Amino acid sequence: MALHTETPSRASGPQPEQAQDRRGALIQTEALASLLAAIVGERGVLARPSELSAYSSDGLPGYRLRPRLAVFPHTTQQLVDVVRLLARKQCPFVARGAGTGLSAGALARGDAVVVGLNRLNRIISIDPLNRLAVVEPGAVNVTLSRAAGAYGLHYAPDPSSQTACTIGGNVAENSGGPHCLKYGVTLNHVVALKVILPSGEITTLGNADGEAEGYDLLGAFVGSEGCFGIALEVTVRLTPNPQGVRTLLADFTSIDAGARATSAIIAAGILPAALEMMDGPTIRAVEASIYAAGYPADASAVLLIELDGMDEGLDADVQRVEAHCLAAGARTVRIAANEEERTRLWQGRKKAFGAMGRIAPDLVVQDAVIPRTRLPDVLREIAAIAELRQIQVCNVFHAGDGNLHPNIGYDSRNPDESRRVGLAMRDIMQACIDAGGTITGEHGVGLDKLEYMPKIFSPESLAAQCALRDAFDPERRANPGKVVPVHSCREWVGA
Amino acid sequence: MSEPVAVPACAIPGTPLANATAGIMACVHCGFCLQACPTYLALGDENDSPRGRIFLMRSLAEGDLALDDPSVHTHIDRCLGCRACETACPSGVPYGALLEATRATLAQVVKPPLRARLILALFARRGLMRAVVAAARALRATGIPRLLARLPGDLGFAFAMLASSASPLSRARYRSRGTGARGSVSLLRGCVMEGLFAAANRATERTLVANDYTMVPAPNQHCCGALHAHAGDLEGARTLARRNIAAFEAAGAELVVTNAAGCGALLKEYGHLLADDDAWSARAAAFSARARDVSELLAAAGPRVGAPISYRVTYDAPCHLQHAQRVHAEPLVVLDAIPGLERVALVDSDQCCGSAGIYNLLEPALSAAVLAPKIAHIEVTGATLVVTGNPGCLMQIGAALCRAGVPARTVHPVELLDASYAAAARSGR
Ligand SMILES: Cc1cc2nc3c(=O)[nH]c(=O)nc-3n(C[C@H](O)[C@H](O)[C@H](O)COP(=O)(O)OP(=O)(O)OC[C@H]3O[C@@H](n4cnc5c(N)ncnc54)[C@H](O)[C@@H]3O)c2cc1C
Ligand code: SF4
Ligand code: SF4
Repeated sequence: MALHTETPSRASGPQPEQAQDRRGALIQTEALASLLAAIVGERGVLARPSELSAYSSDGLPGYRLRPRLAVFPHTTQQLVDVVRLLARKQCPFVARGAGTGLSAGALARGDAVVVGLNRLNRIISIDPLNRLAVVEPGAVNVTLSRAAGAYGLHYAPDPSSQTACTIGGNVAENSGGPHCLKYGVTLNHVVALKVILPSGEITTLGNADGEAEGYDLLGAFVGSEGCFGIALEVTVRLTPNPQGVRTLLADFTSIDAGARATSAIIAAGILPAALEMMDGPTIRAVEASIYAAGYPADASAVLLIELDGMDEGLDADVQRVEAHCLAAGARTVRIAANEEERTRLWQGRKKAFGAMGRIAPDLVVQDAVIPRTRLPDVLREIAAIAELRQIQVCNVFHAGDGNLHPNIGYDSRNPDESRRVGLAMRDIMQACIDAGGTITGEHGVGLDKLEYMPKIFSPESLAAQCALRDAFDPERRANPGKVVPVHSCREWVGA
Repeated sequence: MSEPVAVPACAIPGTPLANATAGIMACVHCGFCLQACPTYLALGDENDSPRGRIFLMRSLAEGDLALDDPSVHTHIDRCLGCRACETACPSGVPYGALLEATRATLAQVVKPPLRARLILALFARRGLMRAVVAAARALRATGIPRLLARLPGDLGFAFAMLASSASPLSRARYRSRGTGARGSVSLLRGCVMEGLFAAANRATERTLVANDYTMVPAPNQHCCGALHAHAGDLEGARTLARRNIAAFEAAGAELVVTNAAGCGALLKEYGHLLADDDAWSARAAAFSARARDVSELLAAAGPRVGAPISYRVTYDAPCHLQHAQRVHAEPLVVLDAIPGLERVALVDSDQCCGSAGIYNLLEPALSAAVLAPKIAHIEVTGATLVVTGNPGCLMQIGAALCRAGVPARTVHPVELLDASYAAAARSGR
């Protein structure tokens, strides 16, 4: 994978053909901008190319697509009015939360207008008795957990990006996080959604009582990557803080040994709250950053394992986990002595992706899930691919559920290296598919994984996905050109 | 999808920004800095976030955006330079250095506003600056600024700032004594500190002596140059840096101390500022290695415990101490040496107050938007003293408290320690 562009991403370069093609659209753009400004005010619309550049990437900046317009509603009513205006004008759009997505999902293809939701960030209500919270889509994940903390509750899905990403983005990607091993992903914690469909119609999916009513449309919307409409209001379940928590750090002299320990712990029937693995290069990047966590810098792998629950019985589990790690070859197993040390161990893990920025100017990350038992084989295979393509892979991932995140640092200014990185990404993905895995655990398909969809889905099942999408968005104006390759839909339409 | 686009070589060779591209490339676009950025929180536009500004810088370097693009100037001007993004960034992006390089590069094309240039020129002229602050002090002594502090708009705010610079603590004179065994120290008096916060400077000298440091005068010192560096006038800053290095070398003390977080951050960066100047780079690096915030020296000494004084206080961390110098715990250690204080935690105490050097004069509306939550959080604490170690913050927060009618004043931490020592001297301990 390398720098991809569709619309002119460089303002200075001459793009005569594109300018010609788009002239019609450009005039419309100005008119549209003033209609949008009438709803959200002048300061809620960006129309200058120089100001739109900031919205040309998400957390995967190898992709750059500069939108023609971006609009930022400040109230739910403004958002509703914006979507209805876009419906009247037949204009495609793409929602954007915090832009931390890792599949280029929030990028605007073609003439899509970016609808920024980051200003809709209020926590509408917290109901500690029923353990429910209602939030606007742009509320930041960690802000919700902090607010719930006052009642001894938290919002369980904790993507590593939680200090930045929005609940709306989490819903769209069905995001996971380290603690989802035990507590489940976003889908398991969202009970109701008020959504606006691309047509402008407002509807509520699910309900706060958690009763099923007919088809599970809530389940369909969660993980729909912005292709079914925009979540206006999200009702989530809050989780009581566990009585006791123990955090262990086990370090190994080989990745293999770490992978074996993981399999052994799960096979023994222990369900940790989290079970994360980091390899040597990742450890060293974290230790060089301001989030240095005290991981042993000479280790080839560390496992960060958290156990939680009732105080009673917790220490027995800790001993069992420790024994499994030592049996698999761990050099040491350390238990966090206090809350401060625990926070530090977790901060290192959660900021690991960012810390890898120190290794190389550009970074790509893959997100595949494989059967846990195949971890050692696949990790060995990834190492062989890295060797073959002469690139450096850093592995940091949710080992407990077999969700791999191979990161590759490179320099996009070096075309040969970019090409080799692209090849390696494909090889790695193929290896995961061959091992019985799938192409995304939690980052979504977006634009980045589009090409892999036909590798894991038959034409019939892709066509069925198009049909589902058409039920929500028959005009295909919501986040166009993402998730399901367009040609799959054409085939289906033609059939 | 289309084929890889080869990224062109730097489009603006020879500019300060061109030399900073490695820092720009360290940004991986992860977004961890977004929620740390006061201007992003206030405006909700990524162009006013660290990630967005770094993208603008990258676009300048790559030639996507022209140096005179007005949007670039708007968003770079709006940056507080608070560097909260640096302490949030796992990738180690040296944002402060990037900002200075960008401002210096942009200044080559579009001059900074007249207001800014006048202020910088004033700070660079020692005699004139002294005359101006002396006049301000005389005005403050009349009590008129406090009366005019409620005037609407920027003018009223300016009077409120002046009024709030007066020390809220009265204390008896006492003679400070110590062994001097901890080493010799020269104080950077600071233009604003010596002019309007002389009480804090004297408190600094007394508390350091009481904690066994020897004070050595450094007579030929100048403005530190921080305001110049932040505004992109790197040459102006370098000139002042060279003068100060020479002045403090001549004084001959082992360490250089300041009680102004903004000045301290730049003193510690003289080495970086003069890195390309062969004649000065080594001297500058040695100077930076000797620079300390007063709280660091006091914390290293213990510090000696004073007599009880009873106030309800809350601590607000100056950005240039917290994020630029990464000095977090030391000011609290200083407060720990004062018995009788009732300390209340301040929500978001590591967030900028919007003062940011001369920012509040250049971007008053945004500065006020950044300040508003700070004042609300302070009010909740019920503290009567807000403790913070930087003149800009002391005046910015002090002025807003005064105008909002919140019954609290601002004070430098060493002044509180000094008051505690004065109380001890009086009670003969
Ligand atoms: C350092 C780092 C670590 C990460 N760690 C994890 C992790 O541990 N687990 C994980 O699952 N992900 C992780 N991610 C990926 C990313 O943070 C998540 O996908 C997150 O949910 C995206 O949220 P966002 O607000 O940034 O959404 P964006 O990136 O802005 O958007 C993502 C998608 O959601 C759509 N969307 C946004 N808001 C709405 C809405 N209100 N209604 C409908 N559609 C909407 C957009 O159109 C887009 O398709 C990580 C990313 C980074 C940079
Ligand atoms: S935290 Fe650092 S690497 Fe991440 S977007 Fe901000 S500046 Fe870039
Ligand atoms: S220095 Fe402060 S205002 Fe400027 S980008 Fe960083 S966090 Fe934002």
